[in-house]
Amino acid sequence: MVIRALLKRNTYYDSITLMSAIQYVKDTIAVEDAGAVMATEANLALLEQAHLLPADFLAQQENMPAPEDLLIAIRAADESLAQSALACAQQKLAGPGNIVVSGSTTPPATRSLEVALRHAASANLAVISVAGEHAWLEAKQALRHGLHVFLFSNNVPIEQEQRLKVLAASKGLLLMGPDCGTAIINGVGLGFSNVAPRGSIGIVGASGTGMQQLICLIAAAGPGISQAIGTGGCDLTETIDGIMMREGLALLTRDPHTDVIVLVSKLPSKRVANELLAAAAQAAKPVVALFLGITPQEFGTVGDNIRLVKTLTEGAALAVSLAGGDPARVPGKDALLAFQPRLEAERAKLAPSQHFIRALYSGGTLCYEAMLLLGEQVGAIASNIPLRPQWALGALTANEMYRGHTALDLGADEFTRGKPHPMIDPTTRLHYLARAAEDAETAVILLDIVLGYCSHPDPAAVYAPVIKRLRNEAQAAGRSLPVIVSLCGSEGDPQRLSLQRATLEAAGALVFESNEAAALAAASLVSHTNSVSHPKDYAHD
Amino acid sequence: MAVALVALDYSRPIQPVFEQASRTGTVHSVFRKALNIVAGDTMLAVLSSELSRMPNSARLPAIVMHRLYTSLHPGMQVSIGDGKLLIPAIDFTLRLPQEPAWEPRPDVAAHHWHRVSIARHSRLLAQHLAQKARQDGLAPLAAPLLLRRPARETPLAQRALPLLQLLVRACRLEDSAGVEEAARGLVGLGPGLTPSGDDTLAGFVSVMALLSAQLCADALPREHLASIIASTAQPRTTRLSATLLAHAARGELAEHVGTLLTALALPVEESQMLLHAADRVLAYGAYSGGDTLLGMLLGLQALGIENTLHESGEYHGHTGVAQAKYLL
Repeated sequence: MVIRALLKRNTYYDSITLMSAIQYVKDTIAVEDAGAVMATEANLALLEQAHLLPADFLAQQENMPAPEDLLIAIRAADESLAQSALACAQQKLAGPGNIVVSGSTTPPATRSLEVALRHAASANLAVISVAGEHAWLEAKQALRHGLHVFLFSNNVPIEQEQRLKVLAASKGLLLMGPDCGTAIINGVGLGFSNVAPRGSIGIVGASGTGMQQLICLIAAAGPGISQAIGTGGCDLTETIDGIMMREGLALLTRDPHTDVIVLVSKLPSKRVANELLAAAAQAAKPVVALFLGITPQEFGTVGDNIRLVKTLTEGAALAVSLAGGDPARVPGKDALLAFQPRLEAERAKLAPSQHFIRALYSGGTLCYEAMLLLGEQVGAIASNIPLRPQWALGALTANEMYRGHTALDLGADEFTRGKPHPMIDPTTRLHYLARAAEDAETAVILLDIVLGYCSHPDPAAVYAPVIKRLRNEAQAAGRSLPVIVSLCGSEGDPQRLSLQRATLEAAGALVFESNEAAALAAASLVSHTNSVSHPKDYAHD
Repeated sequence: MAVALVALDYSRPIQPVFEQASRTGTVHSVFRKALNIVAGDTMLAVLSSELSRMPNSARLPAIVMHRLYTSLHPGMQVSIGDGKLLIPAIDFTLRLPQEPAWEPRPDVAAHHWHRVSIARHSRLLAQHLAQKARQDGLAPLAAPLLLRRPARETPLAQRALPLLQLLVRACRLEDSAGVEEAARGLVGLGPGLTPSGDDTLAGFVSVMALLSAQLCADALPREHLASIIASTAQPRTTRLSATLLAHAARGELAEHVGTLLTALALPVEESQMLLHAADRVLAYGAYSGGDTLLGMLLGLQALGIENTLHESGEYHGHTGVAQAKYLL
């Protein structure tokens, strides 16, 4: 066993670089141990305790190491391995690390707003997707440069959001976000966006997948989208006061290409929603408003030009109708009738233990809408985004993943911290899907699959074989396992709606383009009546 | 070509360094997003706007920092004073903006501090830290020190655990010699340019400096213990680390740490905001964030915060006395 070392006087690397270099050495060369520390008195003692102190090496030094020096120590079985490890560490640290490299002729990459503007001086919109703690500063700079901002970043404190939106409004600019998932501006999709024809329906939404569902249902019926302006999910809170929805509403009111305006938000402050409706009443255009979590009846009298709806499907159908299209072409609850024989057959095959819906959503708004509809049919729904505090899923035991009827928003922060969103990477949801299928109490699994740019390039190729296998396994265990898919996408999307649908249906899934229809289909499998309710039973107004 | 810039913002403690008569210094270290400059006993940080504000920082747009990164070397001569920082080798001048300085000492008097809610926050943060901290550095010691759970035994943990226990105990008893002994062992200990022990001490002294007057169970403020720790550190660790510890002992904190500290005053119902602030701290550096948070929680423990829950009958799992025995 030998201990060898390298001393780099007055040398500073940040801790991440040092940690990576040492880990690389440990992974690459069969050393017994390795360390890289600033040569403080305490660290020399620590190296001694870890049997890593290079005593002979230190004794040979003319001047003892000081706290400003970096000491790399290697313990290995023989001289050759130790020297290889030191060389490896040196090589790793000499790479593109943090010590200044002089004489670089590489032109700077476009890593800042200033450089990007030099490359595209006519740009008037900045898309910002950086870590939340830095996002506000980048957004502020963009606004100061007179740019509209699409702020994809999440985890931006609400007080910073408020200041940014006040600044944007004072400059007549849009601050879409933070945590803005989607927008279509002048025909260009931003973030998670679907391909839809240009048309006369404009949307302002504090709800990413809610907007995507509206866009896709409207596109399926023929009419198109003039603009879809995202505001970020917190816009209609008391703190933000709907600043961006007001701006978006005003923009669409003035926009000559927009004939019908749709406002959508989940869980708004009722006061803010009321004020927005008052502002919308001044628009000389029809306005369809959907505030998930507040029923239309709770608003009382609204302006003559305003129509309140309760679901995304209703909103899309009404907007299509107001724009001169055929609302019957919006994929909606009529699909329930077509699926009724299949649903009844699935229900008949359920084992006595199968009582519960397990909804695994990637879209927060779609999940919330489903819970509102399911809650009316089956009662309490446990969730990480519960409709009522007492329905919060809370801490689960190691063997427990679901509790009664359960709906999970797997795109929520607690599931996506350090991981890709489930619309991009299905790994997390596949895990939950398998556990739901194993659970003998699961009566039906409800999934959303959202297509479009930025989403997984071929989700059906991932989910279809899994659905098929899980259904077969359930059947072998004497159970039926209905899987209902709420498929949100358009024919123009890169994944192609019809291809995705066909693949999923071939695997045995029941596929609905309307999230409302999908939720009601799931409810019909566990509700106490023996037949699927006719769609009219779910009429809201 | 000469480049003359005005910083985007700057912290209050560096203002006098710019205003005094010009003196020479050197470039201490250069990173992609940070440049450290030493002038006399002062260390000044020039940061990219992508980073949080530090108590000794001025910030520049990211693109400017990139240019500096590719053209500077440690050891280059600088002059600072008479209203500017000058780096002659690259003909670069930096001035401070007209806007008021950023104040790195949180205004703790503007908040209401309730021991019970801070105790609940503290318990929540301890669990959060134990769950999210990396397995290196000192943060894993949150398990044995704060939650009475075992931690992986490493040479660093074995060395630091008794020292951290001593630090808390000595601080509780106002034992200056004990505090100095603990600090002497912890300073410069562990990985990183700001070694883990220093980051933990920085979190600890920030609580002593800012909250001891508000929260001490025995009504004896312990700000002076913070300065003992900082002066113990000064010759024993890296210059950067000693500088930041000295600032922390004066209650001058990095922006993300100050935000977390003041978030402790939030009502219990707003714990999500507290956890959000904690996540920002945890995201800082490879180990620094977790180490700093551990230090803050130990600081609260030294002020007797956990006993508040015991006294109010909320402590679950084991008694406050048992907890105190374990800790001490």
